[in-house]
Amino acid sequence: MELTFNVRRGDGRTKDATYQAYHVDVEPETSVFEALVKVREEQDGTLAFRGNCAVGFCGDCTMLVNGRQEVTCLTTVSKALKDDAIKIDPIPYAPTVKDVMYDAKRFIWDKVNSFSPGVVFNGAGWGGAQAVTDDDLRPVRRAMRCTMCGICDQGCTVIDVNLDFKGPAALTKVYRYVFDPRDGRAKERVVEAGETNGVWDCVHCWEASDHCPFDIDPTHRIMDLRDRSVRLGVKSGTGNRQAARHYNAFERSVENHGWLDERNVAIQSYGGLIKGGLKMMPTGLAALRRGKANLLPHPKRPGASAIKALFARYREVTRTER
Amino acid sequence: MNRFAFYPGCVSKGSCPELYESVVQVMGLLDMEVEELTDVGCSGAGVLTSEVSDPINARTLAKAEQMGLALMTICSTCQGVIGAAALRLQDPEYRAFINKEYLAAEGLEYQGTTEVKHFLWVLVEDFGLDELKALVRRPLEGMGFSPFYGCYLRRPADVVGRRERRTYIEKITEVLGGTVVNISGKGKCCGFPSLTINEPNALAMTAKHTGEAKDNGADAMVTPCPLCHLELDGEQTQAAAAARRTIEMPILHLPQMVGLALGLDPKGLGLGRHFVSTAKIVAQLEPVEAAVTAT
Ligand code: SF4
Repeated sequence: MELTFNVRRGDGRTKDATYQAYHVDVEPETSVFEALVKVREEQDGTLAFRGNCAVGFCGDCTMLVNGRQEVTCLTTVSKALKDDAIKIDPIPYAPTVKDVMYDAKRFIWDKVNSFSPGVVFNGAGWGGAQAVTDDDLRPVRRAMRCTMCGICDQGCTVIDVNLDFKGPAALTKVYRYVFDPRDGRAKERVVEAGETNGVWDCVHCWEASDHCPFDIDPTHRIMDLRDRSVRLGVKSGTGNRQAARHYNAFERSVENHGWLDERNVAIQSYGGLIKGGLKMMPTGLAALRRGKANLLPHPKRPGASAIKALFARYREVTRTER
Repeated sequence: MNRFAFYPGCVSKGSCPELYESVVQVMGLLDMEVEELTDVGCSGAGVLTSEVSDPINARTLAKAEQMGLALMTICSTCQGVIGAAALRLQDPEYRAFINKEYLAAEGLEYQGTTEVKHFLWVLVEDFGLDELKALVRRPLEGMGFSPFYGCYLRRPADVVGRRERRTYIEKITEVLGGTVVNISGKGKCCGFPSLTINEPNALAMTAKHTGEAKDNGADAMVTPCPLCHLELDGEQTQAAAAARRTIEMPILHLPQMVGLALGLDPKGLGLGRHFVSTAKIVAQLEPVEAAVTAT
C-alpha cells in the first residue's frame, strides 16, 4: 500500500517544527518503525530517529504516532493510518536531539542510573543456602519484562509538571530489585526511592498503568514500593519522613475515629500543631468564614470501635506474617 | 433500582458539607432513596495499605449486602478504593481469608455481591439521561462547563468497568442544557494527593487545569470528587499566584450543577461556601417560576 509519512524535522525542541512528507510503498502489516527505516535507507539518510531491536524488546523506538505514544516496531502502518497519512512527532518530556530522535539518557537512563541498578547478591539460592522459588520470582519477572519504552512516563501526571520526577519507568526498575529475593540492598533502595521526586511524589492516578503497552502495571509497582517502605518502617529520606508523618496521621485518624479528620491530618502532615497549624491558618480561617469547617473536635462515628478492632487484628495478622 | 446504601465518605461530612447537602437534595428530587451507612469506616483513600483498608471496606460492603442494596459513593477516591477492594474480594480464597480473620469477630460475612456505584454512574445508568432531561426546570443555556473527573472514575480500567463511563459528565452537562468546554487534563490528577508531600507539584497541576478551563472559555468546572474540589477550589488562589496569573474559575460539585438545572436554590446547594466565588454563575441563572424544594 502507498502512504505518506509527515515527519517532524529539525534540531532540538525550541525551533519551529517543520514537517517533511515521505511517500512509501509497504505491506499493510509493516511496522511504522520498519517503514521509517525504509524511508531512511531509500530516500533520506539524514532522517534521525531511535530504534534498535525491531521486535518490541528494547523499547527504544517510541514516537508520537498521530499524537499517540506508540512503540513503533509493534504498530503496523495500517493500524496507524489516519486520512491516508501518518504523522510522526518526537515524544513529549524528553529533549529532542534531531527530528524525532530523543535524548534517551536524559529522558530515562540518568533516572534509572541514579538508583544503582543491578542485583547486589545476598547469597540466597547460591550453594544450596536458600532456594529461590518460582513463586518468589513471579512478581519480579513481570517487572523484568519492562522494556524501558517510557510510555508510562509520557502519560505521567507528575512529569507533566515536574521533569525531575523519577517517573514510573525508573521506579519500576527499583521495584524489580527491591522485590528480588536475591538482592541484599532492599532497605537502602527503598530509602533512595523515598527521596524527593521518588515514590512519595507519585499521585497514584493510574495513568502509567493505563499507558503501559506491556501490562507491567507500573502504578501498582510504585504502590508496592510504598507499602514495602511502610512495612520496613523506613523513615529516613526526605520524602519518606514527610510521607511517614502523613501516613501516621491518616492511620491514627481512621484508627481512632473510624474516619478521616482532613483538617487535623493536614496539620500533622505539615509538621505538627505549630508548624502545620500556621501553614493551614489562612485556609482554615477562610473555610471557617464560609461555613466549610468548624472548630469542634472531630466526633467518633458509631462504628469507630469496630474499625479500631480491625486495625488491632491487622497488626496481629501482619506480625505473624512478617 | 431506586434505593441505595449511601456511603458519603469523610470529606462530604467534613470540609465539603455542601456536597452532602446537594446530593441528598438532588436524590430527593429524583425520587431515589438513599439509606446512609453511618457506622462504617473511611475507605483508606489509597493512603492506607490495602492490607488494612480491604478489611474496612469488606465490612462496608458486607453491610450494604445485608441491606440488599448497591453501595452509592459520592467521591471518585472512595469509589476507586472501595471498587478495587470489591474486585479483589471477588476472589473466593481472599474473601474467605478476610471473612475469617476480620469480619467473623463481628458476626459479619461478605458474600461478594455488592455493586459499588458512584452518583455519576447512578444518574446515567439507574436514573437515565432522558428522565433527567424531563426534570430540567432551568436549562444551563449559554453556560460552559469543563468536566474534571478525578482519577479513580477513569482508571484503572478493570475497576471503572464500562468505558463509556469516561464521558458521563459531558452527557449530563448537555442534557442539562449546558455546553461542554473540554480541557486536556480532564482525566488527570488535580494535585491533591501531593499537597502535603510536594506542594509545588500539586499547585502546578491545579493551575494547569483551572487555567486551561479559563483559557478555553469555561464559566465553571464541574467535578464528581470532593478531593478534586478541595484542591481546585481551595488551592486555586495559591496555585494561580504560583503560576503568576489570575484564574478565578468556580468549581462546582456535580450534584450542584444538576441541582441548579433542576431549579434548586443556589444557596441551599451551598454555592456560597466555595473559596472561589460562584457569584457570576448564580447571576447567569434564569429565575425559576416556582421555587423547587427537595423532599
Ligand atoms: S512500565 Fe511499561 S510503559 Fe513503563 S517503561 Fe516499562 S514497559 Fe514501558
